[in-house]
Amino acid sequence: MSGAGIEIRNLAKRYTPRRGVIIEAIRHLDLTVAAGEFLAIVGPSGCGKSTLLHLVAGLEPPSSGSIFIGGAVPRELVDRHRLGIAFQDSALLPWLSVESNLALPFKLAGLSVDRNRVLKLIELVGLQGFERARPSQLSGGMRQRAAIARSLCLDPDVLLLDEPFGALDAVTRRRLNIELELIWRDRAITTMLVTHSVEEALFLSDRTVVMETPGAIAHVVEVPFSRPRTPELLRREEFHRLTDQITLWLQP
Amino acid sequence: MTQSRTTTSAIYAVVGLLLFLSLWQWAGKAAVAGPVLPAVSDVALTLFSPDNFPLLTRSAFATLASAAKGLLLGGSLAVLLAIVMRLVPPLRPGLDRLALLVNATPPIALGPILIVVFSRSQTPTVLAGIQVFFLLYVAASSGMAASSPTLRDVMTAFGASRWKRLVHLELPSALPHLASGLKAAVSASFIGAILGEWFGAPQGLGLVILNAMQNFQIRLMWAAVTMAVAMSLTGFLIATALEKALARRFSR
Repeated sequence: MSGAGIEIRNLAKRYTPRRGVIIEAIRHLDLTVAAGEFLAIVGPSGCGKSTLLHLVAGLEPPSSGSIFIGGAVPRELVDRHRLGIAFQDSALLPWLSVESNLALPFKLAGLSVDRNRVLKLIELVGLQGFERARPSQLSGGMRQRAAIARSLCLDPDVLLLDEPFGALDAVTRRRLNIELELIWRDRAITTMLVTHSVEEALFLSDRTVVMETPGAIAHVVEVPFSRPRTPELLRREEFHRLTDQITLWLQP
Repeated sequence: MTQSRTTTSAIYAVVGLLLFLSLWQWAGKAAVAGPVLPAVSDVALTLFSPDNFPLLTRSAFATLASAAKGLLLGGSLAVLLAIVMRLVPPLRPGLDRLALLVNATPPIALGPILIVVFSRSQTPTVLAGIQVFFLLYVAASSGMAASSPTLRDVMTAFGASRWKRLVHLELPSALPHLASGLKAAVSASFIGAILGEWFGAPQGLGLVILNAMQNFQIRLMWAAVTMAVAMSLTGFLIATALEKALARRFSR
């Protein structure tokens, strides 16, 4: 177990795109993520799950309520470079090689680049041989692997994943789920994963939170499957039953 | 496919140019507009005649030097101010208005002021700089603003300072935009330099054009103008090549 726990209290986020119009992205939300826990968040689109992740990443301030990560507000954690993040868009710098992209977090933090760690991470996500390749030369799945490796570079206290495999085909997605579970098992960083795939959420997480519109928690599901999780789990009947049940909740 | 298309468009370009030159040649020889429109062959003969060629090349180099210095000064100032604007966003409205003001001032009206403030020999450089400033300020600031929002989010979440984000993301993203701006700025720098020379610079193509006009040396005037066009066009082609190279390197 490593990383820091996350405490979210009375959280709300409203946007006022123009005078008199208020959009409620998160109405009211309380959530605790234990240190070393893998939490998945599913919910209908527009339910505020990505907004929640943005708030935890300190990219936007909440309208009210608080978020503490290991006792610190998100900006403090970010300023100490202790947060890892990956989005649906791999967001690799297109003019840099895979290796240079993975060296970027070190440079942004003002640290000297730990080349051994970069190469180890490249190997960990199965991109050895592509160190010098540019993102445009990689497939979508390979780009996401690189983005996830980049998020792990500084061995963060908290890992935030916003639909990291959302743009991939089902087969690639499943393979990357299996790989991510394998990587995550080693270090068990406190992780929040936002996804619209119930299967992905249940395969990877310790708990899956089901959100409803606008921005509130509808259900919290303790995922009963032990680790290590293997592809065999995807064929088990309990897994399917749970997947079906949550999918039913998500239907309007 | 693309190869054959570029070949085709190159053929069209050559055919168009030949058509234009033949029309010019015919109009000159047929004296359509009298002696003020000499045939292209006569202009070429005047240009390369031993009496005029040394004068024209000397003048062209003087104009080129003013245009290049102006481009460098105006361009550096434009990029520098765009960077300052990016690092200190509250300055943006003021800087934008200043740039607009510079752009809205007719260069012909500025000439006499510049001669008083600077000197006759410096006016071409300063006017060239003023002419390119706005174009490159807009190119640099819009180029930096055009960097991908997801990439900016990733950098922010990794704890990048505004300066690091500028160096690693916004400046590289702005390079292709800057090169596009440079295409327009090259011609603008020659306009500024030649106009500046009209106000009594000691040398330069602008001076030759003005003298030739006043002494009714029509062919010499055309030769000098042709020289200016050739230089401006060469600059444009170099900037186009640069734009292509940078776009390949710095966009996806």
